[in-house]
Amino acid sequence: MAEQVISPDLKFVEDVIASGGGDLKKCYQCATCTVVCNVTPDNKPFPRKEMIYAQWGIKDKLISNPDIWLCHQCSDCTAYCPRGAKPGEVLGAVRKLAIQHYSPTPLSKMVGDPKYLLILFAIPVLLFLSYIVPKGYLDFSAIPRGEDGGIVYSKFMPVFPQIDVTFGAAAFFAVVCFVLGIKRYWTDMNKGVSAQGNIADSIKATISEILAHKRFEKCNVTKDRKTAHLLVFYAFIGLAITTTLAIVYLYGFHYESPYPLYDPLKLIGNISALALLYGITSVTGNRLKNAEKAGKGSYFDWLFITVIYAIVVTGILSELLRLANIALLAYPIYFAHLVFVFFLFAYAPFSKMAHMVYRATAIVFAKHTGRDK
Amino acid sequence: MAESNTVVIIGGGFSGLTAAVEAAEAEKDVIVIEKNPYLGGRVAQLNKYFWKLCPPTCGLEIQFKRIKNNAGVKIYTLAEVQDIKGEEGNFDVSVKVNPRYVNEKCVACDACAQACPSYRDNTFNFGMDKTKAAYLPFNQAFPMQYVIDRNSCAPNCKACADACKYNAIDLSMKPETINIKAGAVIMAMGWNPYDASKIDNLSFGKVQNVITNMMMERLSAPNGPTQGKIIRPSDGKEVKNIAFVQCAGSRDENHLPFCSYICCLASLKQAMYVREQYPDSKVRIFYIDLRTPGLYEHRFLKKAMDDPDITLTKGKVAGINEDPETKDVIVEVEDIFSGSKTKLKFDMVVLATGMEPATKTFQTIKNVSYTSDGFVDTGAKKGIYPVGTLKNPVDVVRSAQDATSAVIKGIQSLRRI
Amino acid sequence: MEKKYGVYICKGCGIGEGVNIEKLANNVKGMVCKTHDILCSPEGINLIKEDMKNEGVNAITIAACSPRVKTEEFDFPGALIERVNLREFVVWSHEPNNEETQSLAEDYLLMGIEKIKKGDLPEPNILQDLSSTILVIGGGVSGMNAAIEAANAGYKVVLVEKEAQLGGFANRLYKKIPTGEYFNKPLIVDTDIDKLIKEVESHPDIKVYKSSKIEKTEGQPGLYDVTVSTNGGSETIKIGAIVLATGWKPYDATKLDYLGYGKSQNVVTNIEFEEIAKKGNGKILRPSDGKEAKKVAFIQCAGQRDQNHLPYCSSMCCATSLKQARYVRQNNKDAVAMVLYKDIRTPGRLELYYKEAQNDPGVMLTKAEIKGVSDAGNGNLFIEAENTLLGEKIKLEADMVVLAAGMIPTTREPQEYLDGLTLAGTKGDEAKAKYIEETPKPEFILNLSYRQGPEIPSLEGAYGFADSNFICFPYETRRTGIYAAGGVRRPMDMSEAQDDAAGAAFKAIQCIDHVSRGVAVHPRAWDITFPDPLLIRCTSCKRCTEECPFGAIDEDEKGTPFYKINRCRRCGTCMGACPERIVSFKDYSVDIIGSMIKTIESPDEETIRIIALVCENDAYPALDTAALQRKKIDPAVRFIPLRCLGGMNLVWIADALSRGLDGVLLLGCKFGENYQCHFVKGSELANYRFGKVGETLNKLQLEAERVQLMQVAIAEYDKLPDMINEYVERVKEIGPNPFKGF
Repeated sequence: MAEQVISPDLKFVEDVIASGGGDLKKCYQCATCTVVCNVTPDNKPFPRKEMIYAQWGIKDKLISNPDIWLCHQCSDCTAYCPRGAKPGEVLGAVRKLAIQHYSPTPLSKMVGDPKYLLILFAIPVLLFLSYIVPKGYLDFSAIPRGEDGGIVYSKFMPVFPQIDVTFGAAAFFAVVCFVLGIKRYWTDMNKGVSAQGNIADSIKATISEILAHKRFEKCNVTKDRKTAHLLVFYAFIGLAITTTLAIVYLYGFHYESPYPLYDPLKLIGNISALALLYGITSVTGNRLKNAEKAGKGSYFDWLFITVIYAIVVTGILSELLRLANIALLAYPIYFAHLVFVFFLFAYAPFSKMAHMVYRATAIVFAKHTGRDK
Repeated sequence: MAESNTVVIIGGGFSGLTAAVEAAEAEKDVIVIEKNPYLGGRVAQLNKYFWKLCPPTCGLEIQFKRIKNNAGVKIYTLAEVQDIKGEEGNFDVSVKVNPRYVNEKCVACDACAQACPSYRDNTFNFGMDKTKAAYLPFNQAFPMQYVIDRNSCAPNCKACADACKYNAIDLSMKPETINIKAGAVIMAMGWNPYDASKIDNLSFGKVQNVITNMMMERLSAPNGPTQGKIIRPSDGKEVKNIAFVQCAGSRDENHLPFCSYICCLASLKQAMYVREQYPDSKVRIFYIDLRTPGLYEHRFLKKAMDDPDITLTKGKVAGINEDPETKDVIVEVEDIFSGSKTKLKFDMVVLATGMEPATKTFQTIKNVSYTSDGFVDTGAKKGIYPVGTLKNPVDVVRSAQDATSAVIKGIQSLRRI
Repeated sequence: MEKKYGVYICKGCGIGEGVNIEKLANNVKGMVCKTHDILCSPEGINLIKEDMKNEGVNAITIAACSPRVKTEEFDFPGALIERVNLREFVVWSHEPNNEETQSLAEDYLLMGIEKIKKGDLPEPNILQDLSSTILVIGGGVSGMNAAIEAANAGYKVVLVEKEAQLGGFANRLYKKIPTGEYFNKPLIVDTDIDKLIKEVESHPDIKVYKSSKIEKTEGQPGLYDVTVSTNGGSETIKIGAIVLATGWKPYDATKLDYLGYGKSQNVVTNIEFEEIAKKGNGKILRPSDGKEAKKVAFIQCAGQRDQNHLPYCSSMCCATSLKQARYVRQNNKDAVAMVLYKDIRTPGRLELYYKEAQNDPGVMLTKAEIKGVSDAGNGNLFIEAENTLLGEKIKLEADMVVLAAGMIPTTREPQEYLDGLTLAGTKGDEAKAKYIEETPKPEFILNLSYRQGPEIPSLEGAYGFADSNFICFPYETRRTGIYAAGGVRRPMDMSEAQDDAAGAAFKAIQCIDHVSRGVAVHPRAWDITFPDPLLIRCTSCKRCTEECPFGAIDEDEKGTPFYKINRCRRCGTCMGACPERIVSFKDYSVDIIGSMIKTIESPDEETIRIIALVCENDAYPALDTAALQRKKIDPAVRFIPLRCLGGMNLVWIADALSRGLDGVLLLGCKFGENYQCHFVKGSELANYRFGKVGETLNKLQLEAERVQLMQVAIAEYDKLPDMINEYVERVKEIGPNPFKGF
């Protein structure tokens, strides 16, 4: 075997530590983690080897490594780690750094660093304020009402062009970033590895696996995560369907909101919102419950959870307040809702949201290379 | 000078015995408080010592001979310290002495045990066999005197007393509290094997053929439950394919955060027991680091490495299951150098469980402070000296060494005040 | 002593049922002989006491259980006591009420009576003008601690250090590892060696000799005359006992050129690294260009665990490198310390130190086999390694490499020289003279004026460490009164050396106490008997002086032995060695054992009789334990305990066989590298003598198989009866000794 030149990268070690892998250096390479991990393949299993790479700051072996995404952070490893090195958290940190690495805009740094939180929020806040301030909508009574005198958010913040263009642009930006990132990631992953079989099959298998959330079933310490994550996952799908329907209604049938509660769009949307609320609450509850064994989680994780929480809470409140016709609260809450949604989507390639894309890609790759049986 | 020329030694294991005979041979009065009905502590339970593969009873015999020839040593067995009051040079040690129900007239003729109708779990053999309720702790016990486990007796039974021709049995004995004046106290309570059932992923207590290293000592000893034949608990099959799981609980924050020092050498030694008994056997030792620091210690490792049928694998076992049909033990491990996670089958698995200082649970002595992991703080109170495994996990050599060094501190205490 | 004999036979524990007591008692002629149902009972004891009081009985034969039990009961101060083991050796291990069993009991009783007839009550030999001053050689951490501990225990101490200042290696250290709990503590602390030096130098009971060496050590415990030379002058001091704490030296790193040492200035040893850190006051400036080192590789086990260099582990280097990694990191947040290890060995609670020390972003560790260190230009180095956790073959670049080189005891060089000398001596005087001429003579430490050589003898496989390889008795050495401590004894770290020094100081104190009472030191630490040779019959054969495991016997030019009693451990090896049978203890002599053997006779020409000479420390208890388990032994065998099989004298074998006994069995401890003999060499010497038994047998025209030596451990009680019985069968097959009846 060829000799590898190893150059330890202290900076990367410090990054991992700062990104939530604070106990990384305590690892003494006993391999308990790989043994208790139920999602790792048996050949060249993780996360022990990732731990030593991270300890030495060998970024190349980590960032482009699909294994870091095959990890679903069950935290069995963390619970059983004899040194309290928390491999689960370390891989989480490495994943954050991988997201940042493949999404090369200054934003990637900013999303992972609490220092920039205000700036990140300032962008959508200012953007949306720029739509409403000129119209004098800071005075809520100036906002036009619906025919029945009820609150109509599209009159506060028009769907077109303000919302759709803004979000369309944000989505476009996110997609471009994702595509660029994934492309580089895919290239990196492929270095020195030969693929097997048909890529389409791998993709198909990956999709069915994700839909069923099979991997989560293998977790021990955090058994309850599957349901929570599944709910969040399907809630997002539900909300995506809702959004798609809304676009169809508006641009296909010129049917404008608000829609009645019995409308399929509304039904799907509200059910999804409730599922999301329940799901994200479970996620939070599980995390708090398992914190001692599985680790407390990083800023990166909690920011993501918080934003989802904020979206679902503001979303539901917006609807309720609208129905209750409490303008004083409804408008600000809706405003906040838009800000959070923007935050989630525009920054998706740099936030934990990106995990769905990278993880899916890594699973496809793993299947494609026979790494994942 | 101190008011008392007496050194009280708590614990009659190898550290305590060493301190006792050394101090007595330097003309100090010594009182040994031992909680078991015999002296020798943990080493009495060992089959052989690493690295010389010599029997511990050899050294114990010399220590006992030294005691027999030295009037300065007084021993209380079945005794526990309840309180220590006072200061260096003038301690009041109160000791509860539990009844043995057998007095010094006992000649060890075995008539009581033969007459006794009741059985008890043999704690000396970690419950792997039973003794009568009237029993001799083991065949080279000192004092060579039987004991009666009253908790295991049949109600109102006095078969033993009736069988004894020597007037040695007194079932009416009561616990006594005695008070001892001492100039210095040496704490030598030693250690307990860590409770392996707490390490849930290693399945001790759930998988029959998973035993601990201390059980392995008894299983290999000629005075053990199988007369030294290494056979597995489930079906008595000869153990020819065995695995040792190092750091079972040790070096683990969830259990014992420190390294127990003795386990690597103990497993190498036990590997040699198996290899000697069954020349066609295979041994596998799974470790994190092989810790055999020193001269003879490292040579011992080399000896094991030179045996092609002893395989040393870097990688900690973190999962153990049972093959329900064969009762074989399946261990799950990452062989770090081959880079694969595998499941391997063995006839029996020995967990190299570590040592928990006795003071983790026994903290009756308030005069000293204890560390979070249960050791005695070395900056202990003047006149009270912890030794051996109460300070740090160590082997017998280092215990003896430390006990000897504690005696000079004791002597200094006696002359200081 | 005017002896008044009394024989007391116990009938308890099955003795009365297995043996015809009346018949047994009839063998006792012309002395008080009483029986008792339970001799160890208060009534039984009283029986003896009454006889002592009323009849003046003072030589008591107690025929009951093993002398290993009921010692408190059968303790009659002022009387000579012999215990005859009827219980374990007769009734518990043989068929009851059998002719052979009866004969066995009678033989044991007669042997016991013979022994007490020949023996005498000992009185201690207390030498005059004893010194209680303790000499500590070596002024490092071990030596200074030994000195302070001994002085604080009330003894005068003389401390001799060869350097101009005290402190030893600790002087060269930048910082040390703290002790106690490591959590939330600094990982490196001051050595505080200055405080220790001050404490020693200002102690009223410690006299320090610096820049000094031991020119000569003469005498024996309590009576050493130690000549200390200082800057040309010398002084002779009376010394009671000695603590040897001369420590260790680093392994000669020039032999580690494959690791780059000597080729690059930037490859240094761990000790040199301490000096660099100390010089830079924490700044690591590399030797080649004075640049601050930012990437330091630590190569563990450099020349250790390696048959070509040091085949052992120095046990302190792992923790030392973790400490030194801290040096690299403490002032330089960009610096990296890479530790390449075989196994991280931080035993015990040092594990927690390992954890704290590695929990630093810039401290990186991997297991690795180092393949080589090469030049990487600009003073930097490449380290090539295999089987690492980072990959099968890796290459690292460092701007400095630290070799964790091992420890060599200061006793190693003198011992190697002396071993070479002994070897040359075996090849003749010429070879010896050549060796002396050609071999550079290292500096000796003790310079003992002992017949067996000037230093503590090396033990096989100890690589020069002054260790006895006893598990249970770590402070034993083969030179009574001289106790080794610290790195000279075995590899250890500074904090262990501190405690070790206290132990050695105590052993020195204890030795002084014992010689002041005329009592032996370990392992017969109660024994007041001593060898008293009848020198008038000595032929100056030098066997005793050569064989004594403890070098207790000196000799003049003519070869006449001079016993230095305070060095003697009372094992009786000299007694066994002496062909003239002139070495005797009051209760243990060639004559006593010989006379005991002579009491044994075969009842007829067909009945086999075998004597077994057994080590009383291991084989004897093993026999007792076998008996406790009622294991049966052939009744042809009579066991005679010896203090150590090293006391076995060939004359007994010759006498026994020429008198018609059918065999002689010798049961001693295991010898060799992992010897179990409490007198280190006893059983080995017995085996050496046993090798010469053939001559005697040839002379008598007897079969060699009649005499056998077995190595038995105390725990082999399960196998021992079978081993003995098989041997008896073999003798039976050979047939009775034709000398029977002559």
